[in-house]
Amino acid sequence: MGGEGGGPADQALVAQTLAGDRAAFGSLVERYAGQARRVARAVLGDPDDADDAAQDGFLSALVKLGQYDARRPFGPWLMRIVANAATDRRRRRNVRRVEPLDTSLVGGGPRPDAAAVRNELGDRLRAALAELPERRRKAVVLFDVEGYSHAEIAGILGIPEGTVRSEVFHARRRLRTLLADFKEPIG
Amino acid sequence: MTEQPSFDHRPDPELGAALRAALEPKDDHAAFAARVLAQYDHALDRSSVAMFDVLASWFRPGMVAAAAALVLGILLGRTVFQSPDTTSIDAAMAPVEGPGLAALVTAQDPPDASVVFTSLVEP
Repeated sequence: MGGEGGGPADQALVAQTLAGDRAAFGSLVERYAGQARRVARAVLGDPDDADDAAQDGFLSALVKLGQYDARRPFGPWLMRIVANAATDRRRRRNVRRVEPLDTSLVGGGPRPDAAAVRNELGDRLRAALAELPERRRKAVVLFDVEGYSHAEIAGILGIPEGTVRSEVFHARRRLRTLLADFKEPIG
Repeated sequence: MTEQPSFDHRPDPELGAALRAALEPKDDHAAFAARVLAQYDHALDRSSVAMFDVLASWFRPGMVAAAAALVLGILLGRTVFQSPDTTSIDAAMAPVEGPGLAALVTAQDPPDASVVFTSLVEP
């Protein structure tokens, strides 16, 4: 699983960054910004908190870049740091508890107008994600959204591969149950 | 959502797209990247400062340990090199002159025990 977009290989950009090339680090950030922000948002919910955590993750990766093993893919290494930064931030904000889910969001309720379907679906998905345990959230987003393999996610989350499969399975089952009333094509 | 078998090893594209749209930030990633890069120098400086903080925290205990090792070494050295009554190997092996020893070496008969004793105790 690589970053988004073409350009030089991650390892080349890492080497240039280690040599002090600020622009190379900027390229890495742009390449992985989407993934990092989405994964952080899956953990934190709030988009501003997520961006803060993603930034923490990138800067932490910059400082630790000398520890990166260039024989391994860069994405999972970075995502591990970002996911941990998001978890740390979530703990630091004193576990601002997820608001109880609005039953109209997660379990049916009145059907929205067609024009609002996409926004409504987004709201319901975020609410449904917030109901899941954090590790399950990370696993399903890394697998179904970011396209990492079970083995890579196992490395990112520091859990066995079989546990990743189980987490993805349970997350999908829960999300599908909560969103059962949304059958329109997402497009 | 797409119905797929349990523990399906393939990503669910429909669910993935929906989740991606739900988690996608509203602003573009370039602005975020610029924000991260604005902290580039600060992050590196902070890491350097943190490294020096660690080194500084070890400086005092390190100096104390080095001083203690130096004092211990000096004491051990003085004990070893100032031991009294040292005798060289040549002095220890030198023949002792005296009648007792001469009598022992030149006698035709086996030496008497008193002669042997005398050769050992005579200076």
